[in-house]
Amino acid sequence: MIHWLSARRAVSLAGACLGITLLLVLLGLPLLALVLRVPSVSVLHGLRDPEVLQALRLSLISSVAATITVVLIGLPAAYLLATRTFPGKVILEAVVDLPLVLPPTVAGLALLLAFGRAGLTGRALSFIGLQVPFTTLAVVVAQTFMSLPLFVGAARAGFASVDTRYLDAAKTLRASETDRFWRVMLPLAAPSVLAGAAMAWARALGEFGATITFAGNLPGVTQTMPLAVYTALQTNLDSAIALALILMIVSLGLLVAIRSGRAASMPGRNHAARAAR
Amino acid sequence: MLRAQLGKTLGDFSLDVSLEISSGSTLVLVGESGSGKTTALRLLAGLLDPDSGRVAWNDDTWYDGAGAVAIPSWRRPIGYVAQDYSLFPHLTAFENVAFGLPSQHGSGGERRARVSMELERFGISSLADQKPHQLSGGQQQRVALARALILNPSVLLLDEPLTALDLTTRRATRMELRGILRTLTCATLFVTHSPMEAMVFGDRIAVLEKGRVIQAGSRDDLLRRPRSAFIAEFMGVNLFQGTIILRDGQGLARLGTATGELSVVDPGDLESEVFVSVSPREITLHRERPGGSAQNVFQGIVSEIIPEPPHGERVRVAINTRPPLVAEVTRAAVDALQLREGSEVYASFKATGLEPYR
Repeated sequence: MIHWLSARRAVSLAGACLGITLLLVLLGLPLLALVLRVPSVSVLHGLRDPEVLQALRLSLISSVAATITVVLIGLPAAYLLATRTFPGKVILEAVVDLPLVLPPTVAGLALLLAFGRAGLTGRALSFIGLQVPFTTLAVVVAQTFMSLPLFVGAARAGFASVDTRYLDAAKTLRASETDRFWRVMLPLAAPSVLAGAAMAWARALGEFGATITFAGNLPGVTQTMPLAVYTALQTNLDSAIALALILMIVSLGLLVAIRSGRAASMPGRNHAARAAR
Repeated sequence: MLRAQLGKTLGDFSLDVSLEISSGSTLVLVGESGSGKTTALRLLAGLLDPDSGRVAWNDDTWYDGAGAVAIPSWRRPIGYVAQDYSLFPHLTAFENVAFGLPSQHGSGGERRARVSMELERFGISSLADQKPHQLSGGQQQRVALARALILNPSVLLLDEPLTALDLTTRRATRMELRGILRTLTCATLFVTHSPMEAMVFGDRIAVLEKGRVIQAGSRDDLLRRPRSAFIAEFMGVNLFQGTIILRDGQGLARLGTATGELSVVDPGDLESEVFVSVSPREITLHRERPGGSAQNVFQGIVSEIIPEPPHGERVRVAINTRPPLVAEVTRAAVDALQLREGSEVYASFKATGLEPYR
């Protein structure tokens, strides 16, 4: 019996080790390969390349703009989804989540059909002198479209996890729903909202498929970092690697920041919950 | 004056109570868990909408099922202290107390002074910058009270304000809280599961059982004429509920209860739904069937013997007679009768002095 148990334990231990090793190989090896392939000189060299700088600048501007848009659109949506039930909610949820499962090129195509010159709103948009596809605006729209569900999901979970006791207390302290949102809901959900915003930013930074379909690949206008990597890959492998490394460092840094931010906010939360109980 | 008539069904539980609380007085709603106390409180606060009924403060209607009036919580002049105090974990004690003050009203300095004064009043000025998780239960309670009372509510709703405290803090806090409540001019509803707290805090007390008020009155009413097993248990008296089934014409009558009959003073009528309470000290125990003037004699088996604090010189003896009885006798008597759990025993008490009441 004991032998059998310990044998089973050994098997599951070995399984866990194998799993973690495979995971590290699968996720870590590409990162390592990238780092190893980079002669540090060429990274610096790449940073001086005007096209790289252009792409980097465009990526930063568009992804920040997209993140701000995502927060502005996503915050009310996340709040409504977390606090209300209404007919058709399931459908709205599915629509919000759609970009998560849609191939990015399909998303780009859909955006083109919606906002393109020959699309649904093309005529109306050109009437007010606005042309969306193949502009920087299109990059922002594509990134917003693709990263919105990440933010809404995180913020919604944050709002839903706010203990109703605090909202009840606020209600009895003359706080209107607007007051309750700003003074109770948002501060208590802040860690999740910030994490959602950071994830949305990371997603926007890495967006490729929808951008290239909807916005094209015009250096200085719509060529963001991922697009620049793809383009460089076909002509100059060294710049591609340099660009890829920069992108990876930024993304990894963002993820680490999210994780540590969340970890820092957790102890306080648990503490408060314990004291309240 | 707060007047409320509340009807609410939640699953297979239904609440149907009427309450009246005048300004400057405290009504205690006492009942066991699940009796609907907190539900009643939440209905008054507007945190829950009744199915039917009416809630009005003086001439202001807060809720009217028929007239479709439902003033939201945040527009009602109430103060609410939840059982766990629900202090905002992201705000300091100061910010918690300041929370309900309108921000546009008065200058920042005025607002700060107002909060400082309230903190002072509750003796928690030194805690102003602490976050709730740094405060003890008693401190949290004071912050929660200050946070509610700074708004000068017309109606103060307290949900088990002492239950979250540990036993040693509870006694000190109880006295303190009583002192504070005495100075208030608002109508206070105090919800508790503890009959003792009900006696301490209640100008009037309403006993809630399964969503209905089964007795309401002053402390003395409750003590003199308990009508619930809950209060009787707390007081330690034997309570019988039944119907007068026979009058002997000589001043005595038979009371029929669900578990047996006993002789009582004739109330003058054949009546249903009367109560009789018998003090355990009036019950005597015997090994042999007693003769003499005691009109109520029951035979049974001792089911439990519990020494009474502080020294155990008196002992409560539970006997499974029909109806079941609890007698309180001296330890010496128990020893003399050689009583132990399982002993066969006779319990007797006089019918004279047992006045039935409605």
